[in-house]
Amino acid sequence: MKKIINKPESFVQEMMEGIVAAYSDKVTTLNGDFRVLVKSTPTKEGKVGIVTAGGSGHLPVFLGYVGQGLIDGCAVGNVFASPSAQKMADMIQACDYGSGVLCLYGNYGGDKMNFEMATEMVEMDDIETRTVLVRDDVASSPKSSMEKRRGVAGMVYAFKIAGAAADKGLSLEEVARIAQKALDATRTMGVALSPCIVPEVGKPTFSIKEDEIEIGMGIHGEPGIEVKPMMQADEIASLILEKITADAPLAKGDEVSVMVNGLGATPMEELLIVYRKVHQILSDMGVSVYMPHIGEFATSMEMAGLSITIIKLDEELKPLLRAPATSPFYTNANK
Amino acid sequence: MSLQLETLRSVFQEISAVMHENRDYLIGLDQQNGDGDLGVSMDEGYRAVAKFLETSEETDLGKLFMQCASVFNESAPSSLGTITSFGLMGMAKSLKGKSEASLEDIASAMSAGIEKIMAKAGSKPGEKTILDSLYPAIQVLNAEKDSDSKQAFAVALDAAREGAESTKMMRSVHGRAAYYGDKSIGLLDGGSEVGRLIFEAIARYLGK
Repeated sequence: MKKIINKPESFVQEMMEGIVAAYSDKVTTLNGDFRVLVKSTPTKEGKVGIVTAGGSGHLPVFLGYVGQGLIDGCAVGNVFASPSAQKMADMIQACDYGSGVLCLYGNYGGDKMNFEMATEMVEMDDIETRTVLVRDDVASSPKSSMEKRRGVAGMVYAFKIAGAAADKGLSLEEVARIAQKALDATRTMGVALSPCIVPEVGKPTFSIKEDEIEIGMGIHGEPGIEVKPMMQADEIASLILEKITADAPLAKGDEVSVMVNGLGATPMEELLIVYRKVHQILSDMGVSVYMPHIGEFATSMEMAGLSITIIKLDEELKPLLRAPATSPFYTNANK
Repeated sequence: MSLQLETLRSVFQEISAVMHENRDYLIGLDQQNGDGDLGVSMDEGYRAVAKFLETSEETDLGKLFMQCASVFNESAPSSLGTITSFGLMGMAKSLKGKSEASLEDIASAMSAGIEKIMAKAGSKPGEKTILDSLYPAIQVLNAEKDSDSKQAFAVALDAAREGAESTKMMRSVHGRAAYYGDKSIGLLDGGSEVGRLIFEAIARYLGK
């Protein structure tokens, strides 16, 4: 293992210390607990709180979206592991501004069970919560069992859109409905070229051959749909779009936003080469692209590869995507 | 066996020791189709509970189990860690108000524990999980509630062992292992081995 760290066991804590050192005017740990990050900017009383949680190792997901016009809090786990229910409960309490809290997170076993325990804990304090699960990864389960799909980069659109809805002063019910609506319109698929290493494990937990590409691999190295000989950028773009549009068809005149997301070790140049082809294919279909997102939004440490996300917009979702949002890791001002 | 704070302390010490001895074994099992953290989280979770019980003065078994659930989750929030916490919470509700529990109380508390797990994790026996060793063992324990504890837990351990072994024939439907589908058939489930080890540890304690 070759990583720029001090000790594997202090990976998460020292990363959090770096965040606090750099950005404490925007985000801060909750009462000094490095397992919970919340905004340090003021929040309007009565706004619906939005929280998430998940394992470390995916920055900017998850905590990178704690910010203005986005989400209010994030509980932080060890690398690829859920934080505890108690930390989630502390976070929910801190992010209740009087109108309830939306728990918006990826569909993973550990996160789900801990959130379930946490929402039960805060019920005792009369805090109303709603849960919306992110399940955008089309490669993780067939359409017939969509409820089993994992949450990946598409959650960024959900954070953004739900965050804008909450800022407008909508009710918990409405914010949850809009988050769900955005997710119903979102599909993602990824490819991986090389694995990543969890610091405390010290070696890759899976391998991909030098001349191969894994289609549909998950952000923790979950097996994908198939392993293929390495492909060119245009072929990768076409293949992913084919799978996505087979799952959620697009028609002439539709408007979408597209995210081409690097998994950690993929140069921006390569992402742009792929976006070029995606844009071409969509133009040929008569589909227009609004606010493309190209860069690193949801990574898997030093994994090489990328994912493509498509969200179909309508008159309700589009202005919510456009509404201003900023965090130490994200802004839509330059999109 | 009558269960009270003192006994619970020793039992969890024994479980913690057994999990520690089997840390690498469980990591190895989990790496076949998971991310390998099973041995780490079980070792850490049970050690934290054992340590907590060393200094706890709480005699209400319900409250005590509830605190154990919270301690376990705090130090091991992995999938099986959280499932274990739900199990302990289920036992807590069943033991509430008691400072001493008979074998019959323990057996029904354990049943309440797995009921809670099944409800919260949406799982049932036959799906290649910890339930496949716990469920048959706890059923046996309920059937043996009038026998001597040592005898009852010995038969329960046999059932747990058989149950864990039977997971080799099963197909994974939960967690990361589910992505391996039919490839999971033939592999022993790590979670079911944790269930067996819990009963190994209790039997070892009773044999002392």
